[in-house]
Amino acid sequence: MKKVIASVLSVAMVAAFAAGCTTTETTKGGDDATTAATEGDQTDASGDDGSDASEEDIPTYGSGDKVINLWSFTVEIPNMVAKYIELNPEFGEEYTVKCTITATDGGAYQTALDAALAAGGDSAPDMYAAEAAFILKYSQGDMAQYAATYKDLGIDVDTKTAEAEIAPYTIDIGSRNGEVVALGYQATGGAMIYRASIAEAVFGTSDAAEIEKIVGAGSGNWDKFWEAAATLKENGYAVVSGADDMWNVCEKSATQAWLNGDEVVIAPEREAFLDIAKKLKDEGLSNDTGSWSEAWYADMADSNVFCFFGPAWLINYVMIGNCGGTAAGEGSYGDWRVCAPPVGFFWGGTWVLANKDTDMAEGVAKIIEWITLDTSDTGLQYLWANDQMGNGAKDTVASGVVMAKSDGTLDFCGGQDIFPAFIAGNANASGKAMTQYDESINTYFKDAATQYANGEIDRDAAIEQFTQNVKDAFAF
Amino acid sequence: MRNKKLVNYAKYGYLFSIPFILTFLIFTLYPIVYTFLIGFTDLSGAGNTTWHLITSKDAVGGPKGLFDNFIAVLTNGSFQKAFSNTVIIWTINFVPQLGFALLFTAWFTDRRSKVKGSGIFKILFYMPNIITAATVAILFNVLFGYPKGAVNDIIIGFSKLFGVQKELMQSDPKAWELAVMFDFNNNAWALKLIVAFIQFYQWYGYTMVNLVAGVIGISPEIFEAAEIDGANRVQTFFRVTLPCIRQILLFVLVTSLIGGLNMFDVPQLYADEKRANGAIMTLNMFVRSQGLDNRYLYNKAAAASVIMFIVIVALSAIIFFILRDKDEAKLKKLRKQELKALKKGM
Repeated sequence: MKKVIASVLSVAMVAAFAAGCTTTETTKGGDDATTAATEGDQTDASGDDGSDASEEDIPTYGSGDKVINLWSFTVEIPNMVAKYIELNPEFGEEYTVKCTITATDGGAYQTALDAALAAGGDSAPDMYAAEAAFILKYSQGDMAQYAATYKDLGIDVDTKTAEAEIAPYTIDIGSRNGEVVALGYQATGGAMIYRASIAEAVFGTSDAAEIEKIVGAGSGNWDKFWEAAATLKENGYAVVSGADDMWNVCEKSATQAWLNGDEVVIAPEREAFLDIAKKLKDEGLSNDTGSWSEAWYADMADSNVFCFFGPAWLINYVMIGNCGGTAAGEGSYGDWRVCAPPVGFFWGGTWVLANKDTDMAEGVAKIIEWITLDTSDTGLQYLWANDQMGNGAKDTVASGVVMAKSDGTLDFCGGQDIFPAFIAGNANASGKAMTQYDESINTYFKDAATQYANGEIDRDAAIEQFTQNVKDAFAF
Repeated sequence: MRNKKLVNYAKYGYLFSIPFILTFLIFTLYPIVYTFLIGFTDLSGAGNTTWHLITSKDAVGGPKGLFDNFIAVLTNGSFQKAFSNTVIIWTINFVPQLGFALLFTAWFTDRRSKVKGSGIFKILFYMPNIITAATVAILFNVLFGYPKGAVNDIIIGFSKLFGVQKELMQSDPKAWELAVMFDFNNNAWALKLIVAFIQFYQWYGYTMVNLVAGVIGISPEIFEAAEIDGANRVQTFFRVTLPCIRQILLFVLVTSLIGGLNMFDVPQLYADEKRANGAIMTLNMFVRSQGLDNRYLYNKAAAASVIMFIVIVALSAIIFFILRDKDEAKLKKLRKQELKALKKGM
């Protein structure tokens, strides 16, 4: 009897073990059937159709049989896809777009995306986004082999970029051996975004032209800006929230890239940040916050901070949500103005790529073309620039044609037309001073600057420490 | 037919262990062997899977010495930093951890004065071990935030109470606040101490539970004998309890050493390997950043892992040697000598 029980148990266990290896396949088949059945009945293309409980965390749009996997680091592109399907329901009937969103914190997005691209197969990304800090890696660098050229997707890219007057730097950064593999939809020239009420109280005027004179806009140095900062401090205001705000200006105004072969190069514009961080700290000119921290967000509401540096997207994605209000008079809403910065810069931007191994080239091409090259009034860029995406924001976009017919007056900036200042900033945008490892190298440099500003090490040691850390990390 | 009643159950034992052995072979042994192998190749680059032995002439960048990856890792400044960080953080965490665990063990197992509610305390002390490292790391990061954080708020409160830099406080309160606050998360030693403290806070309860279990296992007769002989509490603890839980101590030391050298989640989530000149970059964080960041130097990461493996094995061996049962070792030696003598005599 014992023997029987023992053998039954053993067989059961081995069977369970063997079944463990095959369950995925059987359930997958079943799931597909049910998904297809439920989705066939659906007509609306809402994100939360939730036909599949196990995948409830993945936002999906559309209800078609063909699945497009989209990888992104914010909800921005998934929202665009939702809008596209809303405007083109027939696309939603043909395709389902599954969105995987991973934040860029600590390089998490790159690690996950690299693994997914390298693994390939059905769940590999068909379409993915890359940010300015690492776009070069995917368009020209280590991961470029996975990117499909827009031509191969069937997009007549040369004619269309010329017709749409796409900003040349967007094309340069997104090209591999002269073939476009990635395009952005934004133009990310930077401006100085300042508080009108503080300007009025301290300088007696909030007029953009006057403020530009006071801070030395376009002068290429910070002399006048520091004078203004001292005046602001006397009146109890901080010129910026923290050193990180000025880092974006220093980093993206540079004319030399971090690396020249295996050699670490510190462009003078970037080296200047060491002194800027030190001065801000020693003279107490800022609130000493770090970007993307709670304290930094808090400074965007009604605080003592005079200005932020950023492109139009900083207003859209960060400032509007953190200003502490939704109408003029609430928080700092409506109290912001835009003018040219002392040193020209650009910051960020998102590029869209397609996997060369995608089976859904046709569908991916449709979305990509709509996002990056469509200049019509129903194209993404027009909606994006004219507050028709429903987020109460207007962004500068890559297409000159679209910019020419868009209106940049924004309630958040007291009805000011914000586009001229940001468009002027676009002249500073170029891919020449970028490397594919910028995200990592920037972090090392900012850390060295913080150590120097906090008085932990001296200036030479900061440079030495930075250079050594980069060499060690990259094993040069 | 005697054999009919004697069923051999051993084969079922083998059968039942198949799942474990298979998983072990596929998911543990194979990766370990593969890691050793990769350490001697040129495998690197995002998404790359083709490799050559580093000594072959097809290797990227030409043939190199067999141990080139290992030499590169050992001479890498970040590796050296990671090594010393790991040792420092582990030591700062382990010494008080074992100290407190022993102290609580002594209290909770004391036969003469029963601590009231010792069960509750044991559970409470064990609790931090249940919370995931990610949660604790992020919680502490927020607590020690700058310029907004609970600890800095406390510092401001006390500074106000004791009137630190009173003139500045009255003339420019904002500047005064920044002056008295401390940027914990960008200071090398503050970071090390905080991470060591988190490790201590998470693991002292676990260590204590292990030690208590060891003490409970000691035969009460030994304690009674000590009592009758007039040993006081301190003497009992050091002369009776400690020697009797040597095996458990060995277990605690070895597991903690392995865990400590593998330390990864708390420092990685508290602040990454770049913060404050790599102040809390541990060996595992170094391996991750070499292998899964930037240039994807799988071969260098594998070499670093192998070095870690060797270090752990060597240190564990040393601990085993130090804490071995000396009397038993002596007996063994004697027996061997006797055997030898016997053999010679024959």
